[in-house]
Amino acid sequence: MPLILFILRKAGQAVATMLAVSLLVFLALEVNVDDVAVKVLGQFSTAEQRAAWLEANGYNEPFVWRYLDWLASFVTGDWGMSTYYRAPIVELIPDRLAATAWLALGALALIVPFGLGLGILAGMRPGSLTDRAISVLSVVTTSIPDFASAVFLSIVFVFWLGLLPGASTMIGGFSLKELVLPVLVLALYSTGYLARITRASMAEVMATPYIRTARLKGASLPRIVFRHALRNALITPITVILLQVPWLLSGVIVVEVFYAYKGFGTLLYEAAINSDIYLIEACAMVSVLVVVTTQILSDLAYGLLNPRVNLLGAPKPAKGDAA
Amino acid sequence: MTDKTKIETTSGLPAHPQVESLCDQLTAGRIDRRSFLRSMTWLGVTAASASAFAGFIPAPARAETPVAGGKLRFGCAIQEITDPALTSWIEASNLYRNSLEYLTYVDADNIVHPYLAKSWAPSADLTVWDFELDERAKWSNGDAFTPEDVIANIQRWTAPESKSSNKTAFDAVKLVEKTGPHSVRFTLSRPVASLPEQLYSYTCAIVHRDFDTSGANWPANPIGTGPFKLVSFEVGRQATFAKRADYWGTPAHLDEIQYIDLGTDIATHLAALASNQVDLIYRATIAEYDLMKSLPNIQILTGSAAHTLVMRMQVDAKPFDDIRVRKAVQLAADNKQMLDVVYRGEGQIGGNYHVSPIQPDHFPLEPVARDVAKAKALLAEAGYPDGIDLELTLGNTQGRWEQDTAQVLQQNLAEAGIRLKLNVLPAAQYWPVWDKVPFGATYWAHRPLGSMTLDLAYRSGAAWNESHFADPAFDAALDSAMGTVDPEARKAAMEACQTILRDQAVMVQAYWPARFSAAGKNVRGFVLHPADYFRMDGVWLAKA
Repeated sequence: MPLILFILRKAGQAVATMLAVSLLVFLALEVNVDDVAVKVLGQFSTAEQRAAWLEANGYNEPFVWRYLDWLASFVTGDWGMSTYYRAPIVELIPDRLAATAWLALGALALIVPFGLGLGILAGMRPGSLTDRAISVLSVVTTSIPDFASAVFLSIVFVFWLGLLPGASTMIGGFSLKELVLPVLVLALYSTGYLARITRASMAEVMATPYIRTARLKGASLPRIVFRHALRNALITPITVILLQVPWLLSGVIVVEVFYAYKGFGTLLYEAAINSDIYLIEACAMVSVLVVVTTQILSDLAYGLLNPRVNLLGAPKPAKGDAA
Repeated sequence: MTDKTKIETTSGLPAHPQVESLCDQLTAGRIDRRSFLRSMTWLGVTAASASAFAGFIPAPARAETPVAGGKLRFGCAIQEITDPALTSWIEASNLYRNSLEYLTYVDADNIVHPYLAKSWAPSADLTVWDFELDERAKWSNGDAFTPEDVIANIQRWTAPESKSSNKTAFDAVKLVEKTGPHSVRFTLSRPVASLPEQLYSYTCAIVHRDFDTSGANWPANPIGTGPFKLVSFEVGRQATFAKRADYWGTPAHLDEIQYIDLGTDIATHLAALASNQVDLIYRATIAEYDLMKSLPNIQILTGSAAHTLVMRMQVDAKPFDDIRVRKAVQLAADNKQMLDVVYRGEGQIGGNYHVSPIQPDHFPLEPVARDVAKAKALLAEAGYPDGIDLELTLGNTQGRWEQDTAQVLQQNLAEAGIRLKLNVLPAAQYWPVWDKVPFGATYWAHRPLGSMTLDLAYRSGAAWNESHFADPAFDAALDSAMGTVDPEARKAAMEACQTILRDQAVMVQAYWPARFSAAGKNVRGFVLHPADYFRMDGVWLAKA
C-alpha cells in the first residue's frame, strides 16, 4: 500500500513539474506571436501572409487560451509539424529517441560494471596503491571534456589505426562498429565519475563500526565486502546511475553532433539552431518526462536498498536509531 | 591561319556579327583563348568549333574506360528543398541538379554548352534571343518537355510577387514567347550578352509547367527531366537518387547516389572519408588541409573560384551613411594580413570591389594602400576624434575562417581607433538577418562573371542588395558592361563599376580563398566546379 501511495504521489509531482515546464517553454517561445509567424513561415514571408497565418492558427486569442489549446493538442498527441525537417514531430521523435537509447544503453553497459567495479576495488582499501591508481585515472578521465576526448579517440582509432568508422550516421541501418566511438566517449567521462562516487561510499562503509567488528571477528575481505558492505555502499551509486539517464539524454548533444549520430541530441541541437519552435517544445517535454520518470525510479531504488528510508518521506522510527 | 568558315553555330544559322571580330582579336593575340571560347559560346557558337578555331589540342583520350554501375556516397548537408527558384544554399541545388536540368550548362572552365536548350542565337543588338529546345527531352512522368515549360518557369521567376533572386537576374526579360514546337524567344529591355551563362545559375533549374498548381514542393512531387530520380529525402539526414532507365540524354554511369548529412564539422566529414563511409565530401577549408595531406587513401581536389567573404556596410544606416566612416574602415583594413593569417596566403588578395582576378571581366584596378593615419583623420573629420564603436555581425556559414577573418579585421581597425565588436551567430540564425544588419560579413558564392555578382548584389533595389547601395552611375556602367560581348571592351566597362564600388567604400572584401575538397581514390570524373555546381552524371567509380 505505501508503495502505491508513493507512486501516486510521485506521479502527481511529475505531472505538476511537467505542467510548470510546459508553461515556461510556451512562455519563452510563443509569447511573441510575430516571432512565431516569422519562424514558421520563414523570413521571406510578407507581413500580410504572417497576419493571415496568425489569424488562421488562432494566434489572436488570449495567451492563456492558446496555452490550454496547445496543451490539449499536445496531450492528445498532436505535436505539430517541424518547420525545419518538414515532417510531423510525432513521427520524428520516436526514432531519434530510440537511437539515443541505444547510445545510452551502450554507455551504461560500460559505465555500470567498470564504474562500480573500479570504485569498489578502490574503496575496499582506502589509501592503497590500487586506490591511488584508480582515483588518479578517474580524475583524469572525468576532467577531459567530451569534445576533447571525441577528437582524441577519432585521431587514434580513425585516422591513425584506421580501425573504426569516423562518422556514426547509421544511414545503412544499425551498425555496432559505428556505435563504438560515441559510446566510448560517453563511458570515458562517466565511468570515472561513478567510480569516485562508489569509492567514497565504499570507503565510508568500510570505516563503520560493524565492518570493524566483522574484521575483528576474522572474516575474510571478500566476505566482508560481499556480505556486509556492498548493500550499504551501493545506495549512492545506484541513485547516481539512475541520474545518469537524463544526463545521457541531454549530455549526448556534443557527442552526437561530433559523430553526426542522428539521435535525440542532434534533433534538439538542430531544432535549437534552426528556431524550430514546435520541435523544441516537444523535445523539452520529452526530456522532462524522462527526467521525472528516472527520478521516480531512483527514489524507488533508494527506498528498496535502504529500508530505513520511508518512501512517504518521514523517517521510520527505528529502535536504537538515536544511539 | 585558321579558317573562319569552320565556325559552326549551335543553331546552324549564320554566326552573330561579333563572332568575326572575336576571331580577329584572338588571332591578333588581344584576348586569351578562354575568354574567346566563353564569348563565342554565349553567342551560340559550338564549343567544339570554337576550340578548333582557337587551336586547342583535343584532350588526350581517357586512359580508363568508365565503369557503369555502383553507388557513390556523398557527404553533404541535406537542406530543405521546396521551390528550386527560392533556394539560397548551393548544397540543396546539388541534390535537385540530379533530377532537374537547366537550359544551358556551364562547365568548370566557364564555357557554356547546350543542355535542355540545344542552341541559341542572339540578335545583333543582343536583345532578342532565340532558343531551340532539345526535342528528345522528356519529364519523368512521361510528359514531353515543351516551350510551355520554359515560359512557365521564366514567368514565375519574374512575376511581380516573385521572391526569387532570379527576379533580379532576369529583370531585363520583357517577354518570353513560343515561336515553334521546340523554340522560345526571349525579348530583353536591354542587351545582356551572358544570358546563356546566367541560365545555369543554381536557382534556374527548370521545373515542370504544373509545378505551382501541383503544390510547389519539389521533393513531394519530384518530377524532373534529369538522369536520376529522387528515391528518398530526409532533411538533415540523407537523400538518395537512382539512375533513370528512360533518360532522354547520355545515361549516367552510377546506379545510385546517396547524399549523407554529416553535420557541420568538416573534421567529421574527413573522418568519414578516411574510414570509407563516404566517397566524396562537399568542401574542406584551409583548417583541414594538413589533416587531408596526412591521409594516404584519399585524393585532394583543389581549385580557385570567385567565392569570398564580404564585410559590407549599409550605406543608409548610421554611422555608415557617412562615407568617411566607411572609408576609414576600408583604409584601416589590411587585406593581405587577413589572407596570410587566415588562409595561409592560399588565395588571392581582394580589392574591396567584389570582382575576382580570375573572373574574365575583371579590370586590374590599382589597389588602394592601407593608411591608418588617413583613416584616423577621416574619423576625426566625421566627428569621432576619440574613435568609434562598431559591431560586425557574422554567422560562420562556411566555416570558422569567416570569424578568423573578422578577428584580424578587428585588430586592424583597432589601430585606427575603431573598436569593432564581433556579433557571432550560428549559421542558421545569420541567414534570416544577413541582409538586415548594418555591418555584416556574408559569404558570396562564385559567379562566372564579376558583372553577375554586381548585378545581384549592388544594383539599386536588387533582391540580394544587402548594402543598400544605390547609384545610377553604377547601374548605367553595369548595363553597359553586361551588354558587351567583346572581352576587352567588357573589361574596360567593368573598370567604371569596380572604381565606383571601391571609392564608395561599400565593403571590405579582403581576399579570395582557395578551394579544397577530397575524394576517395576510386572516384573518377568528378571535377571541382568553381561554383560548386556538381553534375554527377559523368562521375564513376573505378574498380579497386
